[in-house]
Amino acid sequence: MQRISRWTALVAVLLLALVATACGSNSDSSTTSDGGDAPGKGSEAVGFIFVGPKDDFGYNQAAYQGAMAVKDAFPDLDVLTAENVPETDEAARVLEGMVAKGAKILFATSYAHLDAALKVAAKHPDVAVVQQGNLIKGDIPANAGTYFGTVYEPVFLAGMVAGKQTKTNKLGYVYAYPIPQTIANINAFELGALSVNPKAVTYTVNTSNWCDTGKQEEAAQSLLSQGVDVLTQHQDCTATITKAAERAGVMVVGYHADASSLAPKGWIAGSEWSWADLYEDIVQTALDGKFTGSKYNANFRSGLKDGLNPFVQSKFGSSVSQETKDLVAAAAKDIAGSGSPFKGPVVAQDGTELVAAGTVPDYATIEQKMVVFVKGVIGEIPKT
Amino acid sequence: MSAITFTSFDRKATLRWVLALAGAAAVFGLLVLTKGANPFEVYRSMLDSVRGSSSVEGILLKATPLVLAALAVAVPARAGMVNVGGEGQLVMGGVFAMGVSLAVDGGLPGQTTLVLMCIAAAVGGAIWAAIGALLKLFVGINEAVSTLLLNYLAVNVMLFLIYDRWKDANGSGQPATRALASSERFSLLGSSNVHAGLLLALVATAAIWWVLRSTRWGFRLRVVGGNPEAARRAGISVGSTLLSAMLVGGALAGLGGVVQLAGAEFKLRQGFLATYGYVAFLASWLARHKPINVAVAAVVLAGISVAGDSLQLDSSLPAATVNVLMALVLLAVFGWTRTKAVSS
Amino acid sequence: MTALPLDVMTGAVRGGTSILYAALGESVAETAGVVNLGTEGSMLVGALAGYAITAHTGSPWVGALAGGVAGGALALVHAFFVLDRKANQLATGLVVLFLGLGLTSLFGAAYVARTATSFDAWNVPLLSKIPWIGEIFFQHDPLTYLTYFLVPALWFVLTRTGIGLLVRGVGERTEVLGTYGHNVRLVQYLAVVAGGFLAGLGGAQLSTAYAHAWFENMTQGRGFVAVAVVIFAARRPLAAMGGSYLFGAALALSPALQARGWQINQFALDSLPYLAVIVVLVLLGKKRAAEAPEGLQKVFEMSTAT
Repeated sequence: MQRISRWTALVAVLLLALVATACGSNSDSSTTSDGGDAPGKGSEAVGFIFVGPKDDFGYNQAAYQGAMAVKDAFPDLDVLTAENVPETDEAARVLEGMVAKGAKILFATSYAHLDAALKVAAKHPDVAVVQQGNLIKGDIPANAGTYFGTVYEPVFLAGMVAGKQTKTNKLGYVYAYPIPQTIANINAFELGALSVNPKAVTYTVNTSNWCDTGKQEEAAQSLLSQGVDVLTQHQDCTATITKAAERAGVMVVGYHADASSLAPKGWIAGSEWSWADLYEDIVQTALDGKFTGSKYNANFRSGLKDGLNPFVQSKFGSSVSQETKDLVAAAAKDIAGSGSPFKGPVVAQDGTELVAAGTVPDYATIEQKMVVFVKGVIGEIPKT
Repeated sequence: MSAITFTSFDRKATLRWVLALAGAAAVFGLLVLTKGANPFEVYRSMLDSVRGSSSVEGILLKATPLVLAALAVAVPARAGMVNVGGEGQLVMGGVFAMGVSLAVDGGLPGQTTLVLMCIAAAVGGAIWAAIGALLKLFVGINEAVSTLLLNYLAVNVMLFLIYDRWKDANGSGQPATRALASSERFSLLGSSNVHAGLLLALVATAAIWWVLRSTRWGFRLRVVGGNPEAARRAGISVGSTLLSAMLVGGALAGLGGVVQLAGAEFKLRQGFLATYGYVAFLASWLARHKPINVAVAAVVLAGISVAGDSLQLDSSLPAATVNVLMALVLLAVFGWTRTKAVSS
Repeated sequence: MTALPLDVMTGAVRGGTSILYAALGESVAETAGVVNLGTEGSMLVGALAGYAITAHTGSPWVGALAGGVAGGALALVHAFFVLDRKANQLATGLVVLFLGLGLTSLFGAAYVARTATSFDAWNVPLLSKIPWIGEIFFQHDPLTYLTYFLVPALWFVLTRTGIGLLVRGVGERTEVLGTYGHNVRLVQYLAVVAGGFLAGLGGAQLSTAYAHAWFENMTQGRGFVAVAVVIFAARRPLAAMGGSYLFGAALALSPALQARGWQINQFALDSLPYLAVIVVLVLLGKKRAAEAPEGLQKVFEMSTAT
């Protein structure tokens, strides 16, 4: 016979009542939209979720700065931010919380936030949900979209600098997951290096994490012990690897943000985000009720060709010669015109042809093709 | 003949609880004050945030696997076993369930697959817990130690699978399985995000409550937990009772894994149910391993944890700060609301 | 280009040191009969305090000391609730872990972007030139070198001195020592706090000497690993060193293999240390269980009469 204290019974009854409300509840404003409202129109708030901390010298910091730019550009809008949101269903809950606070425009800024973002989008047709970096496969819902920059373009240019500056001809790349944008980056980096230095090779190590400093340190050390003299990365938090390179006296190419202050001697080049314009444009489009059918209601990618690439070159290091800078400028002009970092011929690691000679693949094709490394990249992609 | 009696209000105990909770709240308030936040505003925002129906949904969503995982600690605890392996058993439940879905691959109607997934999840969790029990019975390794180690093994097994054989080929390189077919998912309750897994959790709670107090097995469990020597002398097989307790506990945790997989996540991915096992452990301790109290405690801890979202959105404090509040509440309760001194 | 075993062994020491500190600390606590699952929390607060104080004072040594103090302070909370309030040790340890997580999140946010001078690697003259041994052991940071003294020192104190006897006695024959007039409670408090101090030091090493950064939850379970190492080592400092380096090797193996072009599913490798601990326990299990201090055995037996 279990004796149940009255308090327990009381609390249990209260909780059951809560369950009942949740079950039957239809009265919450977020779920009963008139259905005809354009996604995001007239929203009072904008919500941003980040997978990491807002000052990681990298990805999340850049996104956060974009969010702050939105705040400045739209003073009447309440800008809600949430950091360290895991890439699981918890993200859906945080987004729902933002919707409950009046946000009808949501930015899910990390790669694996997509599922949570789509879940929330399906539940709230009047909320415009955009996700940063991933690709929606199949039909794109009327109130959702993804966006990203063609990151591999500035990375290619940075790779040229690395190829020129390296003395050992060994470059090192620490990455997190073998997702298309990362593979494209690594390939572009190597191709950029090869274009000025046919002997350059790129060693790769993955950490299976966007921001595990322990793994980053080990990855950096393992690359350094291979004789790599230029380190770069595709990680969210960039400080650890940048500092490891500086301590070891090797060169470093930045990514996501300008971390040159962390590596005053070693910094040679890099690329970083400048989200403000793009974020602001997305917000304005949604506020005006024009989201559905717009270019953002798609897998939107913007590059040097549109002139709107949110990913730009960082400043050069002091050791970079004018000759190198000129080469880079010429290549940038070419890419903005009719060229591409992946202009054929591009050969895969195993020798097969990825891009035929003379062909210039478009953005969509590039994302499709980036599932293997190119020749010159050392490392295997974890197999499916 | 009433099956349930209500204990009368114990004024002293109630006062102790109130003071303990007030103390915890005060310390937390002081801490947020040092970061420039107004404690009263912080609490008000947290309470406000919890009242909205979307928050209630969030709490119930979080509580669903938590209740099952907490019961997974409570049942072995009644027999005297310390099951710290909730993390791993939850994950193995998810792994076994996903394995069934991948193996069936649409060859059966979704509802059937879901039932099979639940059974497989229970089996998976039970097996994982049994390893700990067997190590104790045959080698003398304490189950708290072995189940703790098994947590890490379970996570690594899951990661191994989702990075390799189970990785979704259409998943754009991200380590995760493909999604469950919609017929393989728990249906939603009403128009909310809360899913039928919650009902499973509530039924499990009632079932465990009933089993512990009304069946012979439950009786044996409690005797072994209270005094193993006396149990032995009374002819009860202590070893098999302990093993069965862990099996049931593991099965419950396994169910916790499948309700999360088939109710909310729909894919197995990195971070699946991370820290839920430990929070569930604390919930069971908070409630002294009594099933209904345990379920309530799990919901309360889920509530505190969800209130952390408000810290970030309303008070500009990091969301994980809510762990401080949870810890303070637990310390206050552990420290000052036990009626008798516990040897540990 | 260096040889794989050399890289892995160097990585073992590099990555295993923070775990070793925490394991040494937990060994002391468990010898006195107290289990502290909150070691992870002590490591975390140590990591934050170490980094933050180093950023403020410019001295990593002061930071390391602060890290130890922070770790010890958190362990004091554990000691109080376990020894004075008689709360269950395992549950309290987990609560202390969450307390550490929350506190470091609250106070650590400001330090994520801050740079702090860190412990630079210092090659020990002469010794660091020895082939293989030099690179594996003598090209690290000062806190790593400190462990080379701590391990034998701790062994000596615990097995050969009166203090060590007292600590062991307190864990072994709690009631007996009480009747002889020793302040059992005080010894246990000191042991637990000392354990937390060492764990905090390990955390500080992680942030100021290893990763050179502070991030939320950066210990990623190393404190729990330390508890496993202590079990593996049956509280012996030298065996704890081996166990810690084993885990460090596992952390270093995957990147080392990848840098040589081989891709292996690292999670198979990550599982190995845990499996190793279980195997060791199975092989030595019954013997170990009998050897454990009586007080410790009591911790793991649970009474439902809570």
